[in-house]
Amino acid sequence: MIVLNDVHKRYRTHHGPGKWVLNGVSFSIPSKLNVGLVGRNGAGKSTLLRLIGGIDVPSSGTIERHSRVSWPMGFSGGLQGSLTGRQNAKFVCRIHGHDHDLVERIAYIQDFAEIGAAFDEPIKTYSSGMKSRLQFAMSLAFNFDVYISDEITSTGDAAFREKAAKAFEHLIGKAGLIMVSHSDSTLRQFCKAGIWLHQGKAIWFDDIEDALRNYNESIVA
Amino acid sequence: MPTPNRLPLLVVLNTWKALFLREVVARISTERAAWLWILFEPLSHVGFILILYSTIRVRTIGGIDTIIWIMAGMLPFFTFRRTAVQCMNAINANRALFAYRQVKPIDTVFVRAGTELFLMILVSIILFSLVALFGHDVVPANPLGVLVAFFGLWLLGLGFGLTMSIVVELVPEMERVVGAIMYPLYLLSGVMLPIASIPQELREWLLFNPIVHGLEDVRLSFAPFYHAVPELDLAYLFEAALILIFLGLALQLRFADRMVME
Repeated sequence: MIVLNDVHKRYRTHHGPGKWVLNGVSFSIPSKLNVGLVGRNGAGKSTLLRLIGGIDVPSSGTIERHSRVSWPMGFSGGLQGSLTGRQNAKFVCRIHGHDHDLVERIAYIQDFAEIGAAFDEPIKTYSSGMKSRLQFAMSLAFNFDVYISDEITSTGDAAFREKAAKAFEHLIGKAGLIMVSHSDSTLRQFCKAGIWLHQGKAIWFDDIEDALRNYNESIVA
Repeated sequence: MPTPNRLPLLVVLNTWKALFLREVVARISTERAAWLWILFEPLSHVGFILILYSTIRVRTIGGIDTIIWIMAGMLPFFTFRRTAVQCMNAINANRALFAYRQVKPIDTVFVRAGTELFLMILVSIILFSLVALFGHDVVPANPLGVLVAFFGLWLLGLGFGLTMSIVVELVPEMERVVGAIMYPLYLLSGVMLPIASIPQELREWLLFNPIVHGLEDVRLSFAPFYHAVPELDLAYLFEAALILIFLGLALQLRFADRMVME
């Protein structure tokens, strides 16, 4: 269960405070529900994911996470370029308190990422697809209650997208998923409910179809 | 069934361990023979000054063996400087890691300070062992005194780093100012020149620098007959360190949210 209560967010710019990205957002996401987030570019989708993931703090309002929430998967942040994939994976295992079963977790990540010998090469030699594979494998190595996905599937090749889709399907019913995607079919495939971010407000829809329809109508109009 | 969360303290300890291992691995594995360079910097400075002094036939300074005098000043000074500079850059260098909410900006500063302490203790042990092989008497008269003063200088570096890591994020130009200060500080702290030999009018001013007190106390603990500066006051070093640490902690607390924003 994730509860957002009257969340406002704006960023500091070079000339004072910027405009409100989120302007009074309140909703609660029940556990094990898959939610798709839609909205124009710059509507605040990534900002909202960062807030839910606990990476950034709201300007005002509160966010409660009553469960283990993953970090936002997808952007290449969190990987140190000069270290290898294995070293980065070890780091993430350790901060999540998995020192005792490090070997199994690393083996799982290496196996799932399928990036071969590159696992022991520095991250800076990776392509963006390889980074996504590693990120995705790392986040699946832990049993989160809620996974946050910021366009994770969009950078990989077809094989990886299929693998990611299988993994997400496997999670349905076991864990929740909050995902941003610009592909309607991806959202339809995985999500039940939807949130439409529009002009700083969040509008909740019990059915992703309604969210998509409202969003698509707003673009046309 | 939601998994029970780890205790907050446990999360911090896990994070520190992960950061420490990562920091050390990055330091020794990303360059060729990087561990050699960690030793090389202090070694080259000690060697240079040693050559300088033996050319002008200085065998002892203030009554103690020149090489011990140099090393007892150089290694604690490097501990201060490396801790200060590494901590100052900690937040900026680890920005990518704030993608994990377990990692807070202040964690990276503490872990870097710990890493520098760990490395400088190793470097000091190796260099003093090396000098002992050449027949110099490296055993301090008061080992505990050496450790206390050494620790005080490290604390000063930590306090400086905690404070400046926030300041350079708010005012990026300060990084250059600090860089410019560090070079004269090397001379003004009495690493190369004995402060006790400087005329008193000038010395009074130099003694406002807490590092002088730390370095002189390390040397005095090595040899009780060393002619240290008469105004030596180790408490002054610790006071300066504590003030900086509290200032740094206050700044970290006040600006914690702004550090993670993009």
